[in-house]
Amino acid sequence: MADDHSSAIIPTLQNIASTVNLDCKLDLKGIALKARNAEYNPKRFPAVIMRVKEPKTTALIFATGKVVVTGAKNEGDAKYAARKYARIVQKIGCHLGVKFKDFKIQNIVASCDVGFPIRLEGLALAHGAFSSYEPEIFPGLIYRMKQPKIVMLVFTSGKIVITGAKVREDIYTAFDSIYPVLTQFSKKTLQRVEESAANT
Amino acid sequence: MATFELYRRSTIGMCLTETLDEMVSNGILSPEHAIQVLVQFDKSMTEALETQVKSKVTIKGHLHTYRFCDNVWTFILQDAVFKSEECQETVNRVKIVACDSKLLTQ
Repeated sequence: MADDHSSAIIPTLQNIASTVNLDCKLDLKGIALKARNAEYNPKRFPAVIMRVKEPKTTALIFATGKVVVTGAKNEGDAKYAARKYARIVQKIGCHLGVKFKDFKIQNIVASCDVGFPIRLEGLALAHGAFSSYEPEIFPGLIYRMKQPKIVMLVFTSGKIVITGAKVREDIYTAFDSIYPVLTQFSKKTLQRVEESAANT
Repeated sequence: MATFELYRRSTIGMCLTETLDEMVSNGILSPEHAIQVLVQFDKSMTEALETQVKSKVTIKGHLHTYRFCDNVWTFILQDAVFKSEECQETVNRVKIVACDSKLLTQ
């Protein structure tokens, strides 16, 4: 059984955003016309928006050859999807010398449920330097951890979103260090304290 | 008024084009007149679909492919069900080409 200072909870990766440079000027209209599942509306956005079904991802393909891939659930899928987009652009032809340069994971988003409600006001007061909690603006508490440099959204319900990581280890480290703090501000803990106070 | 040439590829549009081609090659009609007829056809189709067609059809299917380029949406649906008030029909594969009619009035 998990004690108060560690949990058996592992945050689930929800989204990975990555970039790659095809290192070649691209004819976006030609790509939009020939590729499947592509949208190109230069009046609204200067990139082709393309999707592949497996891994289920979306890519923004810019005329400079830079590509942003989002929606992957793990690092392997992110790279595999990026390779797929590169391959699609290459296969359309008219693009000689499509490369696969500087692939990089830019952001990882994960979420989890700690399983107990949280007193956000208490957390905001105790960790003022890291927290910003403005319920009138956003119902979640924004926790900016310094080490690792991670941003967390903590909700009263006990649901947590962790973002800003470049490697998944940072997500896990961040969660492991915030979890004991969250247990401190569990609404159940407060109830227990109040109950025991009432009993004495 | 500007119009789309979208309906020229329909059965009725193809038949008209074929007839006009024949008339032009037989010297009955000048090419200029033939083009004028086609332009009128575009206008009439747009107008007729706008004012005379009251029935509504819903199309539901599995989206296989989509594309948006030059303000034209293209969809390829699999196992699409066409439903109107009177009947229902399933089509294995259907391609939908759609333009925004608002672009014509601009």
